[in-house]
Formats: sequence, structure tokens, C-alpha cells
Amino acid sequence: MKNSKIIFIIALVLMLLIVFAGCTQESPRNSNEQPEVFDFNKDITVVARDAASGTRGAFHEIMNIIVKENDTEVDKLVVGALEFDGTDKVITAVEGDKYGIGYISLGSVSDRIKALAVNGAEPSVENVKSGAYSVSRPFLLVTKGTESDLVKDFLKFTKSTQGQKITNDMNFIGAADLPEEYTASGMSGTLKVAGSTSVAPLMEKLQEAYQELNPDVVFETQAQGSSQGIKAAIDSSYDIGMSSRELKEEEESQLNRYILAIDGIAVIVNNENPKSDLASENITNIYTGEITKWSEVK
Amino acid sequence: MDRTLDNLKQRKIKSQIFKSFVWFCGILTVGILVYILLFILLKGVPKINMEFLFGEYNSETLSAFSSIITTVQMIVLSLLISVPIGVFCAIYLAEYSKRGNKPVKVIRLAIDTLAGIPSIVYGLFGMIFFVNILGFRASVLSGVCTISIMILPVIISSSEEAIKSVPDTYREGSLGLGATRLRTVFRIVLPTAMPGILAGIILAIGRIVGETAALIFTSGTNVLKYPSLDLFASQRTLAIHMYMLASEGLPHSRDMAFATGAILILVVFFINYSTTKLAGRIGRMQND
Amino acid sequence: MQNIKESNFSEITMQAIFFLSALISVLAVLAICLFLFMRGIPAIAEIGAIDFIFNEKWGPTNTPASYGILSMIVGSIYVTAGAIVIGVPIGLLCAIFLVEFCPSSVYKIVKPAVNLLAGIPSIIYGFFGMEAIVPFVRENMGGNGYSIMSASIILGIMILPTVISISESSIRAVPESYAEGSYGLGATKEETVFKVVVPAAKSGILTSIILGIGRAIGETMAVVMVAGNSVMPLDKIKILKPIRTLTTNIVTEMSYASGLHESALISTGVVLFVFIIILNASLSSIKSKAQRN
Repeated sequence: MKNSKIIFIIALVLMLLIVFAGCTQESPRNSNEQPEVFDFNKDITVVARDAASGTRGAFHEIMNIIVKENDTEVDKLVVGALEFDGTDKVITAVEGDKYGIGYISLGSVSDRIKALAVNGAEPSVENVKSGAYSVSRPFLLVTKGTESDLVKDFLKFTKSTQGQKITNDMNFIGAADLPEEYTASGMSGTLKVAGSTSVAPLMEKLQEAYQELNPDVVFETQAQGSSQGIKAAIDSSYDIGMSSRELKEEEESQLNRYILAIDGIAVIVNNENPKSDLASENITNIYTGEITKWSEVK
Repeated sequence: MDRTLDNLKQRKIKSQIFKSFVWFCGILTVGILVYILLFILLKGVPKINMEFLFGEYNSETLSAFSSIITTVQMIVLSLLISVPIGVFCAIYLAEYSKRGNKPVKVIRLAIDTLAGIPSIVYGLFGMIFFVNILGFRASVLSGVCTISIMILPVIISSSEEAIKSVPDTYREGSLGLGATRLRTVFRIVLPTAMPGILAGIILAIGRIVGETAALIFTSGTNVLKYPSLDLFASQRTLAIHMYMLASEGLPHSRDMAFATGAILILVVFFINYSTTKLAGRIGRMQND
Repeated sequence: MQNIKESNFSEITMQAIFFLSALISVLAVLAICLFLFMRGIPAIAEIGAIDFIFNEKWGPTNTPASYGILSMIVGSIYVTAGAIVIGVPIGLLCAIFLVEFCPSSVYKIVKPAVNLLAGIPSIIYGFFGMEAIVPFVRENMGGNGYSIMSASIILGIMILPTVISISESSIRAVPESYAEGSYGLGATKEETVFKVVVPAAKSGILTSIILGIGRAIGETMAVVMVAGNSVMPLDKIKILKPIRTLTTNIVTEMSYASGLHESALISTGVVLFVFIIILNASLSSIKSKAQRN
């Protein structure tokens, strides 16, 4: 009898040990004990935005990941690329993966990740302005039909000196030519805004500042991508749509379009990635899957 | 003789190994639960502060206050709709219908179907019907309507079971005293079945609290600065708040996602505890 | 007399009200079918039913747009199969544990634990998956963690309570005489359980598995946070690579889809709905078979 009990206990303990060992093998999230040198032969983890994203639309067009032939337009993003529906998710993914590469709004770059120079040009506001850094796109605000006074007032605020200052402080390039000082209008009501996750941080700051001047205004915001914002503006479920890509023909014909700011798109890699510059050709090849390892990047 | 003894030994060894597998799985299941709970609670509870629970929502506080209020609003309103309908349906099935006739079969089939529909499909239906066709737009109202249908099977099943387990002697006694069927139901059967019905309601509350997929397209993901009871505004519930925070990817959002998770888990604890207590009460009553 | 007339009246009215309340469920199901099909079928017709279901190319933003959901169907199947492989053995053995081997003091711990697992919201499972399972898979199995493997693990855990509770009831329902007969023949307890009792509970266990399948196939939030959501062509699907299922397809793209794209997503919901109906139907036939025996 005793023998059988022993077998039982041994078998049980063995299984528990295996599971326990497996669980504790997890390295802590921000482990400092990673002696691994950057292995150039590992696969590149390609991180992209989801199909609603204006950043994706703009980036894939600029980098020729979208291939246009005659009447067809095909997005040739490599199969198996991770697609995330938000700027911060892309940052998190690249931050956590040594071999990752992604693209985000220049204004969202932080020291969690590293922004690469493209074709020799550093990703800076000056270079975007001068055109040396070629990867950029407009932030658009779109509305449909005749706008309410509240919408008009808020749009006025975004073009004012106060609004422009907020924009420029966030590393975007304000698009207003002759900004004027804005005075509080004391309006009230609800403004519904939807769209780009890249524009959303700027929009939030503008909303907060506007609310300080006009405390009776309430904002309802939903950021699920440029295409969502455009769709919401077109079907009038929201008052203002935010987009971080240019409008398509069918969209433009239905909407009023305002340029809020110009924003660069930064190509980001993990902080441990030794690279600091990428030719746009390489970027294209990485995203279309022609290049799969960091060692293949020339 | 030797071979039989060897055989016996082998069988004994196999038996013990099987026993260890079985014990292992029992321990594993509890271990998984504990791991999940600790994982969320340990990282989440420290982050809960007054601002997060009761403050206004902005990018620093990421307050859950208005989401909590919306969740409570959704629970109350959905129950107000579903409990009467569900209990009445249960009364019909348990008290008035003859077993196995056509309408009953159809009704049961419908209830079983409703119970199996995935929440995303409920969300799609709610979007098509309440948000678009009825024109409620993305709003708490659309969410409430969708959720009411979703919890109907839960209420019906537990109420029916509770009503069925009321001993017939109670009914016979009442009818013997001259009360009508109706009176018997409302004065005798329902009150007796109350703990079971309540258990079903609590189960439904648990489902509502945890629901995300059905609400994303009906009540939406919007969050207002201050809690509001506006039925026609798009507002997020606590579970959706957690989803949005988890999706944002910012370190601060991630922390507060843990905090929201901790709150959700504590709510689930409380719900489970109440159900167990009620189940105990029913058990004791049935033993009378 | 008046009283009896009044109470007759209220008796009849209330009976009608009860009956109508019961009909509401039927109404609800009909409404759901009606409106889903109304939005979904025309889209399937426009895309072409064969093309919709058997084309692996899902590219609504391309010109020309393609709407094939085959890759997502396969994704859902793989992820559900993985959940079954992980969840059913553990769940079944745990159920056996609860019925046959568990001392009552331990039962008071394990049974509430199972009930608690059942009550945890899917978003918590998804978040836990994203924060714990994905890194685990990334570091110990390879790939970047967002994968079929991670989804299967999380779904496997999620179906545990379903499998355990229902299997437990069916195993308990097996008459003592079966076991006693086996002991009488000299079998050990474990042999009895494994070879006699559990097989007798077959149909209940099968029911629990089917319900588990239903739960896994319909799960959205937990999967969307751990599976990576890439649409993979069939030949590139690997267990450590990302995947998109029918459910995650809907939730990922619905917010910005319009026109045919939106309708195609609703059609995806229709496919899910039909699948669940089929699952429910097989469940009923198993139940009635068991009753006939």
C-alpha cells in the first residue's frame, strides 16, 4: 500500500514542478539581464497600423507598399505583419520587441522607442517643414454640409494663435497662415468628434484648452482611425471627423476639409536596435516582405 | 501466479499515475484561477485611488467614475425590462403550459437559441436594429435594449427552475383554500421561488458587468468627463473602459487598466459570493 | 358572483400576459434572424456565396476589393480546436477529481474556484492573456507571442468551467451500481472510474464539449487581445504566427467599415450565427438520443 502512495506523490510532485518551472521561466517585463547582443539574423517583426488608419494609408502610399497598376490598388503589406489599431499599441509592440519596426505620428515619438532617419534626413519638425524629411501627411478636420455655430467656433479656435501654439508645442506644424487671437465665445453644447488616433492627442489638448475658455461645451470623442472619422462625418453621426491622410475623391466631394496641421511619420525601432538610418527602399522591402532579417538591410 | 501479481503491480502503478493526473488537474484549475486573480489584483489594487474612482475623466486620471455609473445604469434598466418579461415567461412555462405541446417546444427552442448566441452577434443585431433602424444612435439606450434580450434566457432558466422546485403541496394547499391560480402564483409560488429568481438576477448582473462585445457597437466607447444619466448619450461601461485602457498602450493607461480589472474582479467576487449564499438558502429551504 | 367574474377576467388576462411574455423570446430570435439576414444575405449575394466562403483573400480596402472569409473560418477552427485540446483533458480530469477523488474539504475550495472562473469577464481573460500569456509564448516557444497558441491557451482556460460543471453533473449521475459491479470484479478505484464510470457519462461529457466549442467559437474580446489579428493566407498559417478569426474580424474592422465592407462583416456574423444554430441542433439530437436510451 505504501508503495502505491509513493508513486502517486512522486508523479503529482513531478507534474507540479514542471508547471512551476514553466511559469517562473517568464522573464520580468523590463529585464535588465538581457546579455543577448542584437542578433541580426533574427526575423524582423513588422508592425503596421490597421486598415482604418490614416497613418497607414499615408505611409503605405509614400513608401510604395500600396502598389497601383492601371485601375487596381493593392496593399502589399507582408503577410503576418502585426496590425494594431492605435499609435500607442504600435509603440508598445516595438518597445517590447527588439527586432520590431513600426511607423507612428512624429508628434507621438517618445524615448520609449527610437525614430530613424530616412534617406539621411533626421525626423524633426524643421526637416518636415523644409521637406528634407519626406515622410509626412496632413492632419485634416472634416465636416459635412453647413456647420453649426459651435463647430465654426471650435474650428476658429484651432486656427487661432492659442490653437497654433498648442499644435506647435506638440511637435506638429500648425497649418494656419495668419493666426488671430481667439476670444471666448461663451457657447454651449456638445461637439462630437471622431477619427484618427494620430490626431486624437492634439485634438484632446485643443479640446481641453477650448473648454477652459468655454466651460459649457462638452466633447464626445471616439478615436478608431481616420476612416472611421471620415465615415462618421459623412453619415453625420459625428460633427467633426479627424483624418491623418488625404481624402479620397468620393470622400472629398461630400465633405468640407480643413488642414489642422502637418505631421511627419516616424519610422521607429526598438531602442536596442543599432540602426539609426534607413533608406526608403529598405523600408519598402521590409514592409513588403522582400527583406525579412535585419542582416539583409544594406 | 507470478504473472498475475506482476499484472496487479502494473495496474496499481497505472492507477496511481492516473490518480496523480486527476489531482494535478484539480490543483491546476485552482492554480490558474489564483494566478489570474493575483496577477490582476496585485498590479491593480495599488493603482486604485480616489481620483480614479470618483474624479472627473481626463488624460491624467483616466477616471472610471462615469463608466461605473453607466454600468450601474445599464444593469438597473436592463433588469427592469428583462426581469418582468423573464419571470412571466417562466411562470407560463412552469405553471400554465402543458408539457410538450407545440408552442412550448417552440418557446424553449427560442430560449436555448438566445442563450447560445455569441455576444458579438448580439452587438451586430443591436447595431443594425436599435442604433440604425430605430434610430437610437450609439447610446446607453441601444445598449440597454440589446443587453435586455441577451440576459433574458438567464432570467428565464433560473426563474423556471426556481418556480418548478416549489413543492406542489404549497400550490395544492392554496388552491384547496379557494384561491385562484393567479393568486396562488403571486402570493405563494413566487415568494417561495424568490431566492432562486434572485440568484438568476445576480447571474445576469454578472453577465452585464462583464459584457464588452455586445456594447462596443451599441452603447459605444465614448467617455464623458462627468458621470451622466443621459440615456441618449454614447457612454462606455466599466468593462469597455478596461478594454480602451488596455488598447491604448501608454504605460499610465496600462496601469489603470489593471486597476479597472481589479475593480471588475472584486465585483465578480461579490456576485459569486451572493449567489453562493442564496444557493445555500434555497438548499436549506428545500430541506424543510 | 361579481368577484368570481372579476377574478376570472384577471385570471385570463394574466394568463395571456404570461403567454405573451413567453412569446417575446420567440419574437427576439425571429427579429435577430430577420435583421441579420436582411443586412447580410444581400452582401453575400453581391460578393457571391462561393467567393465569400471559400476565397482566402480578404482585402476590403484594395481596388478591386475582395471579401473572402476562408482564412478567418480556418482561423476560428484552429483556435477552437486548440482550446478543446487544452481545455477538455484538464476540464474532464478536474471533473473526475471533483466527483470521485476529492475530499469534501478540498471540494469546498475547488468548486467555488470553478464557479469564479466562470464569472470572470472575457476582457479580463484577454488582458491577462496579453500581459502574461503572450510574453510567455514569445519567450518560451518563439514567434512574437501573438499567435494561435496564445489564443488557444486563453480559450482553453475559458472553457474549463463549462466542461467541468457539465461533466461533473453527468459523472455524478452515473448510477452507483455501475461502479459497484466493477469493484466486484476486482478493479481498482482508478480503473473503475476510467473504464466504467466516465464512459457511462459519455453523452453528458460530449454535451459539455459542444458547449465549450460554442463558447470558444463565439469569443471575441479575449482573442482580439492575444491573436495578433493578421489575415493569413492558408499556406502561411502556423501555430506560433498571428491569426484572425471570424469574431475578431468583425470587431477589428466594424468601426470604420461602410457599404459593402460593413455588410460583409455582418455576413460574417451571419455565418457565425448559422454555425451556432447547427451546434445547438447537434446538441439537441445528442440529448434526445441519450433520453431514448
